[in-house]
Amino acid sequence: MIKHFTCVICPIGCEIDVEENEGKLILLNGNMCARGKEFVIQELKEPIRVLTTTVRIKGAEFNMLPVRTDKPIPKRLIPIIMEDIAKIEVNAPIKMYKVIVKNIAGTRVNIIATRSM
Amino acid sequence: MKADVTVIGGGPGGLVSALFAKRNGAKKVLILEREDELGGILKQCIHNGFGLELFKKDLTGPEYAERLIDDINKVGVDYMLDTMAIHLSNDRTITAVNSKYGVFNIESKSIVLAMGCRERARGNIVIPGTRPAGIYTAGVAQRFINIDGYLPGKEVVILGSGDIGLIMARRLTLEGAKVKGVYEIMDHPGGLKRNIVQCLNDFDIPLYLSHTVIEIKGKDRVTGVVVAKVDSKMQPIEGTEEFIKCDTLLLSVGLIPENELSKEANIEISSNTKGPVMTETMETTVPGIFSSGNVSVVFDLVDYVAETGVIAGKNAAEFAKEKNENKKFINILPGKNVGILFPHRYSYRDDLILFLRAGKWIEKPVSIKIKPLNMKMRRFYARPNEMIRIKILQDKLLSAKGDITVSIKEVEG
Ligand SMILES: Cc1cc2nc3c(=O)[nH]c(=O)nc-3n(C[C@H](O)[C@H](O)[C@H](O)COP(=O)(O)OP(=O)(O)OC[C@H]3O[C@@H](n4cnc5c(N)ncnc54)[C@H](O)[C@@H]3O)c2cc1C
Ligand code: SF4
Repeated sequence: MIKHFTCVICPIGCEIDVEENEGKLILLNGNMCARGKEFVIQELKEPIRVLTTTVRIKGAEFNMLPVRTDKPIPKRLIPIIMEDIAKIEVNAPIKMYKVIVKNIAGTRVNIIATRSM
Repeated sequence: MKADVTVIGGGPGGLVSALFAKRNGAKKVLILEREDELGGILKQCIHNGFGLELFKKDLTGPEYAERLIDDINKVGVDYMLDTMAIHLSNDRTITAVNSKYGVFNIESKSIVLAMGCRERARGNIVIPGTRPAGIYTAGVAQRFINIDGYLPGKEVVILGSGDIGLIMARRLTLEGAKVKGVYEIMDHPGGLKRNIVQCLNDFDIPLYLSHTVIEIKGKDRVTGVVVAKVDSKMQPIEGTEEFIKCDTLLLSVGLIPENELSKEANIEISSNTKGPVMTETMETTVPGIFSSGNVSVVFDLVDYVAETGVIAGKNAAEFAKEKNENKKFINILPGKNVGILFPHRYSYRDDLILFLRAGKWIEKPVSIKIKPLNMKMRRFYARPNEMIRIKILQDKLLSAKGDITVSIKEVEG
């Protein structure tokens, strides 16, 4: 079966057509680089994304602290993780890259701050 | 007040300009920023995808800004926050205002404009109907959610498929709002392909091409919009009207450089890029006034913004030292199938980095030709929503006489 992908690793966004045949991947079309190939393999196995969002912060100039996962997470887990994050509130001061939640929803991925506040 | 290099605007364009002005020997480098923090639009762009070229890392907007702010603090750039530049004259005097000094003048040996761009709002496009609450530009909604922590609505329609609109479609969905669809009047999306995939497709948000909003309903608050299909002349097709219930309409219909100060200083504005007419050294038509980032031309990527900042900062520092008023230049002109083309002039002082957009969609292999250099580059396709960057070394250009023309041609195979 021919499958169509758009690589989201870098802004070039290569369009890649591959055929999966008995576990083997045949590239049909697309100007992809090595990272694009990894992307397609991962996408066939389990699509993963970096999740970026915000948490409430107290004692800072603004209400929201931007955060992200420190690694890409399976796409299907995004709704549960968002639910967990919605319950969190932190206090200023916070340094960029401080871990806000360890091992979120049992994924072995941490939620980290993306700025100091 | 006096300065060697004054930078107006503390977004990524301004921060990088200030950093490189300092690194190239300018003594007093001063940034004026009207907000209470440096960082510009990056502070509200909490998503990742920034910095793959400059930092070789996939960063979010705030991370990118904080790295640059750390850098300028290390080299000792001065900055004034809550300070707005209100006038600019072509003798390089800036009038600014803040609560500490009131209205005051800064005489600067050179200046870098870095005021960024603004979003086109409803005034720039015409939708009949009432003017109820619940209509925002995508950028305003982005600020509400990501900085103020306030969700602007529960059921949202997005008009225009620019990148900020696409990113907001995902953000609103993550925060629990229902995005009913993104409506684009053109027959192609406005934003990058990767944003269609990771912001719309990932969340099953429909994209309707060749569609527009023809009416807004609601008295105090938006209660819905009427959408319709459009024909090839972008006129609504009768009989295709459909009412969509929603409480919020987001506009993501494009960005334009912030030109007020530039016009005041008699800087020539280009009808092609909608920002100042510029050389490869990022100098405007007024000697000693340079420009970087989205105030020059709207870039797709913040790394391109940073690249213009490097050049503007370096040349502003040199001008502050030696006041090199070089008048010799050739024009750089868009040829066949080329839409936006930047910069506009080549003055033989540096490498030339061209940024261009195709004038129309060509879904076939193309060749980009640069005359009179005999340069040809192949690409798989040419699309107006993807900016193309081409670097040409100074050596190759020194012998060039007559204007440079860039064109895009379809090729076989
Ligand atoms: C709402 C919005 C969202 C965007 N999202 C993305 C995105 O997700 N990814 C991306 O790559 N690009 C995005 N862009 C494009 C973005 O503008 C650039 O990537 C980048 O931030 C441009 O940097 P800049 O320094 O040119 O402008 P900006 O970041 O806009 O910085 C300009 C700065 O100048 C200040 N300023 C303006 N006028 C004055 C004055 N008269 N006096 C003093 N200070 C002044 C402003 O307050 C601001 O801090 C977005 C643009 C907008 C408008
Ligand atoms: S395949 Fe490589 S070049 Fe193409 S989008 Fe993916 S990472 Fe970028």
